[in-house]
Formats: sequence, structure tokens, C-alpha cells
Amino acid sequence: MSPATIIFYIISAFILVTGLLAVTTRKIFRASIWLLFSLIGIAALYFWMQLEFLAAVQIIVYVGGIVVLIIFSIFLTIKSGEEMPKPILIRSIFSALAVLFGTGFVVRIISLYTFKPISTTAFNLSVNQIGTQMLDTKDFGYLLPFELISILLLAAMIGCIVIALKSNDKEATTFQNSIQ
Amino acid sequence: MFSLESLTTLVQDWLNKTFPPTWALLIEFVIVGILAIALFAALGLVLVIMERKVAAWIQIRLGPNRVGPLGILQSTADTIKLIMKEGLTPDGADKFLFNLAPFIVMIVSMLILAPIGFAKGFHIWDINIGVLYVSAISSVSVIGILMAGWASNNKYSLLGAMRSGAQMVSYELSVGLSVLSIIVLTGSLNINDIVLSQQNGWWLFKAHIPAIISFVIFIIAITAETNRAPFDLSEAESELTAGFHTEYSGMKFALFFLSEYINIFIVCAIGATLFLGGWMPFHIGNWESFNHIMDYIPSFIWFFGKTFFMIFLIMWFRWTFPRLRVDQLLNLEWKYLLPISMVNLIVMTLVAIKGWHF
Amino acid sequence: MFIVDYVKDVYGAMKSLLVGMNRTGYYFTHHKEIITEEYPDNRETLVLPERFRGEVVMAHDENNEHACTGCSACELACPNGTIKIINKFDISPEGKKKKAIDTFVYHLELCTMCGLCVEACPTAAINMANTFEHSVFNRGQLTKRLNKPDSKLKAGVE
Ligand code: SF4
Ligand code: SF4
Repeated sequence: MSPATIIFYIISAFILVTGLLAVTTRKIFRASIWLLFSLIGIAALYFWMQLEFLAAVQIIVYVGGIVVLIIFSIFLTIKSGEEMPKPILIRSIFSALAVLFGTGFVVRIISLYTFKPISTTAFNLSVNQIGTQMLDTKDFGYLLPFELISILLLAAMIGCIVIALKSNDKEATTFQNSIQ
Repeated sequence: MFSLESLTTLVQDWLNKTFPPTWALLIEFVIVGILAIALFAALGLVLVIMERKVAAWIQIRLGPNRVGPLGILQSTADTIKLIMKEGLTPDGADKFLFNLAPFIVMIVSMLILAPIGFAKGFHIWDINIGVLYVSAISSVSVIGILMAGWASNNKYSLLGAMRSGAQMVSYELSVGLSVLSIIVLTGSLNINDIVLSQQNGWWLFKAHIPAIISFVIFIIAITAETNRAPFDLSEAESELTAGFHTEYSGMKFALFFLSEYINIFIVCAIGATLFLGGWMPFHIGNWESFNHIMDYIPSFIWFFGKTFFMIFLIMWFRWTFPRLRVDQLLNLEWKYLLPISMVNLIVMTLVAIKGWHF
Repeated sequence: MFIVDYVKDVYGAMKSLLVGMNRTGYYFTHHKEIITEEYPDNRETLVLPERFRGEVVMAHDENNEHACTGCSACELACPNGTIKIINKFDISPEGKKKKAIDTFVYHLELCTMCGLCVEACPTAAINMANTFEHSVFNRGQLTKRLNKPDSKLKAGVE
């Protein structure tokens, strides 16, 4: 085994173990930390494949964004420090079965697919290329999805502002009062 | 002329000749690790004493003056004291996370060090997404702080961690935008390329007004990112005892303390690289003879000089301005820094496209 | 106009920040302004400010005379019960009995150096001294007698 393979297995084991811990631990905050490690492991895998851009984006989006949001929402819940009760037996049996079948399904699909080794030269993507591809209108360009997503985010942002806005007009307050 | 580049190539050649490549790589890792730790220790000692002296002089005091000449060994003495103290873990704390948190914060600071160019041809990892890498990894350190605050099982710690989380997440935006405005000019995220693009002058001067605006925004936002006064709400002594590291003692506390200073060094190094040309000597356009004289000063002196200038600026802020309130903090970011930096980014793009910079 | 206000805000903020930094920058570069006293080292040359309050003393002139009439105003003014005035009765040459101070007891350990006694004294007999090295090994040494033995009231003080 070459050192690169050894590193690959170490990273994969790390991802799997932390992923497993994330779903089996009974403390919710720890679960989020294990999830964090699992996501960092995936970023490490990207680094291993020399996809630095993707790895950095993985860390920014998942670790810096999503996990922080999860942790914040855990902080805001009351029972964040306590241990969860043990799941009931029948639920664990069914979830184990679901995992088993899911794994079998994925393994089956992977084994059916024949992986062709593509050229062994490492691809060296410069940021320039990624940027051009992202905003390209020609074939394999990503301008349309990019813009769609930005519209989605804009809508979400406007929604947030509307929710957070203090309502000064009478109608809204009377409406709220009537609800109460 | 003395240069660190020749030294590194010498070591690399020798290692490659004597060992198989994998072993050579491993040995290089070890050397780099030891150097990084040594740099951290040295930086910690220097920055702490520098901070205390700057604080003292600004407040018309003498500052530490007992240990060693002018008190320069004070931080060493403090470190020895901290090493010998007992690291307590409070009852009811989540032991595992409590002990893990300082190391996460420290490791993150260590990782960010990788792409920084200390001198000409002297960096740990010449990664092609350098600046993006730094902002990505630095977003992990907030997790360490949240972890520390939560695991301490202490309301001060938790409040401090929440504040610091909200602060870091929101100020990351303006740091990112002001960094982007320089990236627009250089067209590359690689730190080496960014430095080389300042061959004929630093961006702060070359791109005039928009660069100065983004420099100001950058320095405000990194002060907030590193949780320093006037943005030190997360460890506000008068409100939260010490914020997220209230419960830490001994070496674990020292790690938090050290990582704060290392983070300052790193963000200042990034700022120096982006706006002040990193290790690039002070060059003015085509004044060949002037540029040549400047080249005689070794590049690592330029780098450390600029970085320490930025650090001094940040310390100057700390000992001048009073602490902001939470709502003022968020107002500043969302109502002022962010809109201004967005408009500035557009202006900068225009400058870059039209070639209005020098 | 909203935009004008906004720009004015930003300008004003930057300006006031720079004013602050100018001040601290001035102190940073001007080490002559430093006010720290390196106390045990400069014990000989140490000069304390005039208004420093170290302890209450009673001034005596060269004839061993003071201005205290024993009126007890200071005792009443003291919030801490630091002062105790013990009076005696002198016989004046005309054979009249006259109240005078016997012992002015001053408990340094109780004194908070508030200076109220000095202000209360109608004859300005007591004042605050600059001394500050008050550490002793025995608490009893802190109880002092302020009027010197055999001292008298200055003539003409009523
Ligand atoms: S200084 Fe204040 S506390 Fe001291 S004796 Fe005078 S009145 Fe009492
Ligand atoms: S010191 Fe002054 S106030 Fe006190 S008893 Fe003497 S004269 Fe009266």
C-alpha cells in the first residue's frame, strides 16, 4: 500500500467512526460536534484528492455555516445538556434494518457500476477556470442554476426581513391582539 | 544577499538525497511542525509583552518593568507560572468537549499558518486558493469557542460563546468582501501571486480610494473577528468575568490566550499581504534605483515589519476605544460595514475593469 | 436626506475615532507624561501631591502650642468613630475654670481618610498629612495621641 492509500483509509475510517458516533451518542451537543468532525473529514478527503477549492467551500458552507447554525439552535433549546432517553427497542431494530437495506442498496448500485479509470494526471483547477465555468452561458456553464439559487436566497432573505420587521401599523397589531 | 529560500531548498535537496521521498516528506512535516510551534511560542511571548507595553504607554504608565531589562521577560515568567498551574475541570462540565476545545482553537490557528508567505519563497504550503483557505479554516475556530462555552456548564461562558459566535459569523462577511475587493484586482487567490502583483507598489497605494476604504473595513472587521476590544463582548470582563474561557485554568487557558494572539498575527499577516504587499519591499512604480535599494532589506524583515505595524494598529484600537454594546455591534456590521463594503466592491470592480489603478 | 445623513454619520464616526487615536498616540509617543512612581526604588525622591491624604495630624508650633480647643466638632463629624476627645479643665490665671484638650485619641486603623474632621474643625487645628507608610507589627501602635505631651492651646485661639 502506498502512503496515499494509507492516508485515504485513515480519513475514511475517521469519517465513518465520527458519523457513527454522531448518530449513536445520546447527548445532542456532542452529536453536532461529531457531525462537525465527520464533515471536516470529508473536506480532508477533498484535500486528499487535491480539490482544494471544493474542500475550502465544504468547510465554509458546512462547518462555518451549517454546523454553527445547528449549534446555535441547540443552545436555544432548553434541554440541551441532558442525555436523551434510550430509544425504544423496536425503533432501534427498525432503524438498524433500514440502515442495512440502505447499505445493501447502495453497495448493489456501486457494484453494478463499472468504474473506468480516467487519465491519471492530476487535474489542476485554477480559480479562474472555476469562476468562468460558474458564470458561463455555453455548454456545461452554470449561470442559470447560479442565478436561480441567488433568486432563492434573495427570496429567503426578504422573507427573513419581513418576519423580523417591527410592525407599526394598527392593522397588524390589532390582528395580533385578536389572535391572542 | 541572505535569503530564506536558498536555505529551504538546501534542506530539501539534502533530505531528498539521503532519504526515500516519503520519508523525506515526513521529516519535512516534522521540521515544519517544530518550526511552527517554535514560532507560536515566540510570537506569544513577544505579542503579550508588546501588548502590555503598548497598553501601559498609552495609559501613561510604565507597564511591566520588574522581570528582566524593561520587563521584557515578564511574559516568559507568566508562561512558566501558567504551565505549573493545575488545569481544573469543573464539576458538571462535559469533560471530553471541555478538554478538546482549547486544542481545536489552537490547531485551527496552526492550520491557517500554512499558506502565509513569510519571506520570498518561504511558505509552508503554496496552495492555489490561499486566501479562501484561510477564511475557510478560520471559520472553524468559532466552533472551538462555542464548544468551550457550552462544555463549561457556566452561564457566563455560554453567553460569551453565543456572543462571540454571532459576532464572528456576521463580521466574517465584511472581512470576506474587503478581501474580495483586492482579489478582484489580482485575479488570483494564491498568496504568492497576490504578493507578486504588488511588484510596482502596494495595493493600498495603487488602487487608492477604494483600497483605502476596504483597508479600513478590513481592519475593523478583523478586530471584531479576533474578539478584541472594542469588540470584546465575548469576554467582556465587567459583564461576563472572562466569557467563554471563564472556567479554564493553567495550560488550557494559556492555549486560548495564545491562540488569540496567534489569530491576531495571522489576520494581520493576511492584511499585510493583501494591502501592504506581504514580503514585497516598498517599490514605487519604475524608480529602478530606489526599488533596488529597497531590495537590500531582506524580505522577511519587510513581512514582519508590516505585520507588526498592523498588530500595533489593532492594539492602538484596543486601548483607545470603549467597548460596543451588542446592538451597536450588530448595527455597525449590518447597517454600515456591509453596505459600504458591497458598494466598495462594485467600485473596485469598476476600477479593475477600467484599469483606473496604477 | 437619508444618504446625506448616512454619509455624515460615517464621517463623524471616523473623525471622532481619529481624534481618540490622536490623543492615545500622543501619550504613546510622549513617555515624559508617564505618571507611574516606582515606589520602593525612589523612596528618597518621592514627591506626593499636596492634596494626598495619608493621616490626620495636629500642627504644633515651636512653642509646643496647637490650636485645638477641645470642642469635639471633629469627633462628631467623623463617620467612623475614629477620634476620641478627652478634655480636662484648666484653671486660668483669673481663677476661672476653662475647658481644654487633654488627649486627642486618633485610631488610624479606623480612619478612611475622608477629611471630614479637618473640614469640621473651627480653628483649623488638624490637617491631613502626606505620610503613607503606616504598616506596623502591632495594632496598638495605630492608636495615636495627636496633641504632644505638655502642649498648650495657642494664645488668642478661642
Ligand atoms: S479623616 Fe474621616 S475617618 Fe479619618 S478621622 Fe477624620 S473624619 Fe474620621
Ligand atoms: S481638632 Fe478642631 S474640631 Fe477637633 S476638638 Fe480640636 S478644635 Fe475641636
